Amino acid sequence: MAFSTTVSQRKHIKRKAPRGFLKRVFKRQKPHLRLETSGDLLVHLNCLLFVRRLAEESRMNAFESKCGVIKKEHVQAAAKLFFSPTQPELRGMKENC
Amino acid sequence: MAEAMAESYNRDSEPTTRTLLRRVLDTADTLTPRRRRSARVSAQKALLETPSSRRLSSPTKMNVRRRSHRARSIGRLAHVHTSGNLEEQTPRTLLKNILLTAPESSVMMPESVVKPVPTPQVVQSSRRESSRGSLELQLPELEPPTTLALGLLAPGRRKQRQRLSVFQQGMDQGLPLSQEPRGNGSASSLTSSLNLTFATPLQPQSAQRPGLARRPPTRRAVDVGAFLQDLRDTSLALASPGDSLRTPVATLPTDTVLEDTQPFSQPLIGRSPSVYHSLPCLSHTEAEDAKRAVSHRTQSSGPRLQNHNPGKPTQLLAGKAKKVDALAVSFPNNSSAVSGEDGVEPLQDGVGEEAEERMEESLSVSKVVATTGTQGSVRMEKSKGHREMTEAAEAKEPEGSSGASLELASSTTEFLQARRPQFLEPAPPPSAAVLSSEPLEPLSTRLPPRARTPGPRPRQDPHKTGLSHYVKLFSFYAKMPMEKAALEMVEKCLDKYFQHLCDDLEVFAAHAGRKTVRPEDLELLMRRQGLVNDQVSLHVLVERHLPLEYRQLLIPCAFSGNSVFPAQ
Repeated sequence: MAFSTTVSQRKHIKRKAPRGFLKRVFKRQKPHLRLETSGDLLVHLNCLLFVRRLAEESRMNAFESKCGVIKKEHVQAAAKLFFSPTQPELRGMKENC
Repeated sequence: MAEAMAESYNRDSEPTTRTLLRRVLDTADTLTPRRRRSARVSAQKALLETPSSRRLSSPTKMNVRRRSHRARSIGRLAHVHTSGNLEEQTPRTLLKNILLTAPESSVMMPESVVKPVPTPQVVQSSRRESSRGSLELQLPELEPPTTLALGLLAPGRRKQRQRLSVFQQGMDQGLPLSQEPRGNGSASSLTSSLNLTFATPLQPQSAQRPGLARRPPTRRAVDVGAFLQDLRDTSLALASPGDSLRTPVATLPTDTVLEDTQPFSQPLIGRSPSVYHSLPCLSHTEAEDAKRAVSHRTQSSGPRLQNHNPGKPTQLLAGKAKKVDALAVSFPNNSSAVSGEDGVEPLQDGVGEEAEERMEESLSVSKVVATTGTQGSVRMEKSKGHREMTEAAEAKEPEGSSGASLELASSTTEFLQARRPQFLEPAPPPSAAVLSSEPLEPLSTRLPPRARTPGPRPRQDPHKTGLSHYVKLFSFYAKMPMEKAALEMVEKCLDKYFQHLCDDLEVFAAHAGRKTVRPEDLELLMRRQGLVNDQVSLHVLVERHLPLEYRQLLIPCAFSGNSVFPAQ
């Protein structure tokens, strides 16, 4: 094949995905399930996007409260959007996209 | 004749301007001068320039310089000789005169150029002749004043040329010239450059550019000295300051005595490479410093040791001292423990850095931990681990290992202080898991005893480290300062997120009748989240947010030979 599944030593990937960590987390949660090789990269992608959204939301909350520092309340309010029923989050997501 | 010699020399070495001029003279037809001096000068200059233009490297400078001198000489010669026979002043004759009177020196003999320069008042031709005669014979005798005179030399164009010549000479000589080759062609360079035609080709390079010069290894030794000094300072600062003043002096002799008794010392595993580099000259002073530091250590750890191994403190101390010495000094200098060092050397070869780190960790532990019990257990663990690494089987190893571990601990912790950052990453052995936090903390800050059980590694630790990766990303995306509480909140959110994620993936896989979660499930998940829709596909997101290497793994791409990777 043209490419190998492993990255050669000299390649230094910036912002590597913690693949081992993700695999371990999944195994702990669902030991009866298996995760495919490329699957954890997509999980990492999902995490990235989630963190990005969360950060932007918290930032907006902090701006609204005219705070120069992101506080716990801002993050909490942002998280509420994600972990509450999905409908409001989807709405928020579609706006962002 | 000197000229004949020079000519032959020149012809033998390379076609110089002189020889070319000669050929020109021989072959070219005589021309009548249109104008007396200017034509001659211009013709000569043209003649001079053509041969000089053929040169590419340093000779060009020589030619430039020669040209300048020739121009001057031409003028002077013209002045001198025109008085004699005005009608016969042709370029040919003038060139002949130049060949006769011009300095015999070749490119590598810039003296001729330099010598006439300092005394512009005198007729240069005559001076040159006299200097020329002396040049070849009295090369080393150039006076320093000439260099100064060189620096103040002729104005304008000649000044430039002079500087070039001086620069050239300086380069030949290899003196470290400054950016402006102004009068830096010192007398020594001028004098010696005459004979050093190709003698020192490399030296000038480094001298010219000191930045590229190979530094002698002394630098490294100095660093080690400072390193040891720092160690000593920190070690002294660590323990009771009052004792530090007395112990170093008092324990020095005991150290040496103990040193002699120790037949071998544990290898300084990671130190050997650095030790080999360090110069022996520094060893003595460093050894003393190290000894003092070690002695201080031994003092502090001695009482602890004696609780455990009454018979071992001597070994420990000696070993520590030895270790410190070996660390600081090249082996030949350490006469006290030759046999030990013989054992040390093969050990050093065999042992990797991990053992060193273990030792260091043990050292750090020994330093901080006050209780002897923990120390002993740690030491035993360390010694065992150390023994696994080492290959030498020596008589006293069983005894020495436990003590050696302590020795290593005590002496290496000192070095560990300065080298802590290097050894943070490598994974410590399980026994040192407890101590792993030690290297992370600066010694000065935390001294409370840690009666920590090296028991179950908390599940949180690797989990937290993995999460911290995303927490850092969060703080990066937020672009704003965050409170610690907010970061912990983010961790909680991430935990919850992972749980939700796994549940959803399970549901999707079960819906598809599978027990393995595949990328299709992931795509479905993202579609449900609203990240992937008809406008934005998964591949687009992958391209946007993931590094190239992962993208290659995820997005199938066609390659030559009718192959697709990754296979579908």
